[in-house]
Amino acid sequence: MSDRVRNFPLLAAELMPQCEALAAQYEERRSALLPLMHLFQSREGFVSPEAMRFAAGFLDLTPAVVESTVSFYTLFYRKPVGRYVLQVCRGLSCTLGGAEDVMAAFREKLGIGNLQTTDDGLFSYEEVECLASCDRPTCMQVNLEFLYDLTPQTVDGVLAAIRGGTSGVAPLPQTERPGKTWAVRQDTEVSEGEKMPGDTGVPDPNNAGGLGDRTGLIALDRIVNDDAALLGRSRERTVRDASAIDAVIREEDRAHAGH
Amino acid sequence: MVCNCDEAEPGTFKDHMLLENKPHLILEGMLLGAYGIKSNHAFIYIRGEFKAGYEIFTQALAQARAAGMVGKNIFGTGYDLEVTVQRGAGAYICGEETGLLNSLEGKRGEPRLKPPFPAIAGLYGMPTVVNNVETLAYLVPVLQKGWEWFAAVGTERSKGYKIVSVSGHVQKPGNYEIPLGTTVREIIEIAGGLRPGRTFAAVQPGGGSSACIFDEHLDWPYDYESMSKAGSMLGSGAFVVFDDTTDFVKAAYNLIRFFAHESCGQCTPCREGGHWLEKVLHRFVQGRGLPGDMEMLLRVSSSITGLNLCALGDSIEPFLKSVLVRFPDRFEARVQGRQVAGVR
Repeated sequence: MSDRVRNFPLLAAELMPQCEALAAQYEERRSALLPLMHLFQSREGFVSPEAMRFAAGFLDLTPAVVESTVSFYTLFYRKPVGRYVLQVCRGLSCTLGGAEDVMAAFREKLGIGNLQTTDDGLFSYEEVECLASCDRPTCMQVNLEFLYDLTPQTVDGVLAAIRGGTSGVAPLPQTERPGKTWAVRQDTEVSEGEKMPGDTGVPDPNNAGGLGDRTGLIALDRIVNDDAALLGRSRERTVRDASAIDAVIREEDRAHAGH
Repeated sequence: MVCNCDEAEPGTFKDHMLLENKPHLILEGMLLGAYGIKSNHAFIYIRGEFKAGYEIFTQALAQARAAGMVGKNIFGTGYDLEVTVQRGAGAYICGEETGLLNSLEGKRGEPRLKPPFPAIAGLYGMPTVVNNVETLAYLVPVLQKGWEWFAAVGTERSKGYKIVSVSGHVQKPGNYEIPLGTTVREIIEIAGGLRPGRTFAAVQPGGGSSACIFDEHLDWPYDYESMSKAGSMLGSGAFVVFDDTTDFVKAAYNLIRFFAHESCGQCTPCREGGHWLEKVLHRFVQGRGLPGDMEMLLRVSSSITGLNLCALGDSIEPFLKSVLVRFPDRFEARVQGRQVAGVR
């Protein structure tokens, strides 16, 4: 299924001259962090933990700083994704132009939701913010190549062209089998475009210095707390979302362990 | 010198067009700009999604380098200029100039506390000029034809041309170069007008961050002063047109979701406020708004404004407030138990 057995040390050795050239472009080497991650992702299909550790050593940063930085950017996939990442624009202008119907068609045809990958590892699907092509709604990207003027009727054709190899878009390398989602637990958005209160990207809320506290310390929580009905709903939602997300992650961990 | 090509403001697509179609114009503007401030290193920060644009620009840069326009001792003048192309990786906030500089330094794209402004302490703590693609692209014709050419059009205070990205409910959406001061109605006409049978509802004249303007502003000139006087702003020049079929509750939810998603999370009002507004608006979209929610939307959004490091937080309120105040009935109809027949 995968392109090859992953051999990170070999890849790192091969890319070393390119890494050096990238770092030499800047007054300060750290500026090369994003280019390095783009480079490794272009070869591995995702930003692997090994690549982040390599970058840390190469740029004299701690691994935590590298992961924190990488996690800030949505185009860095920290887990394997499908061969074709489909990113449909959900921005306002595309929505005025019918994006909701296009997204519904993709979800139906692919049988997956936002931020998910098909079981065969071919497609990953994401609904993304404005792609700066508002004159030709609905627009999308396939592995960052633009497609314009989509309608629910053209969705089948897009998928068929990719499956048939006539889309003109190159597949991404896939050095590891993707899981159900490439979202990471601490990401702020993990299912159906919903967030949990207190989700600040901090992995362990107990160590978040209060940021992850869900008892109402945050000023805006108080506004919600003023309203008994709202409070009940908010707590109910929080618990439901958290357990649903945990279930997906547990399932995925099991899949990985059994792999 | 840094050229900001991290275009991601909802409704804006002029930099995307310029990057893919006029890379040499942008590059020449960067070279002239850098020469003007005696900078020896120019950067262009290109939005991560613009992969084709990145490749096109990189090619244009290689051509310029081969022609001796970039590098050491350019044209024998003794002036050295290096140009570095940087790709972003998916973060709207990197379009904020100090967020961009942090990202360019290999950090999270979180905006900095200002002052100091980049012109005093920018990239690596050095004085840095950050300009938009459009600004630098205009540098070339202005230098060729003279400032008089540029200043000959426009209004008394807003001079020159502006690229307006017209989208939404018009027949010919696209980028249009107009003299500042063209009226709102004229811009809609230039973009093909509304579809047959539709009537005008509103325009968002300056991107996702700007408030809507309405019927009474149709004959106002599109310039910085007038848009500000109309309670909005010219902003990025994104001109989103809404006709009478628009679901403004959904539109507000759409934009608030955008800002909540793109908040970097540094400032509590923006991070938490945007998130809660998104949740409350989502209730409205589902027809489950609660009594008092409309007041809460206004209260929460106004208490975000002005309390953040950068303008993203301040961008949350304008559109929501403008449509909520103008069309309260649309929101009222989505409060639980008050569904009105015929409202989608």
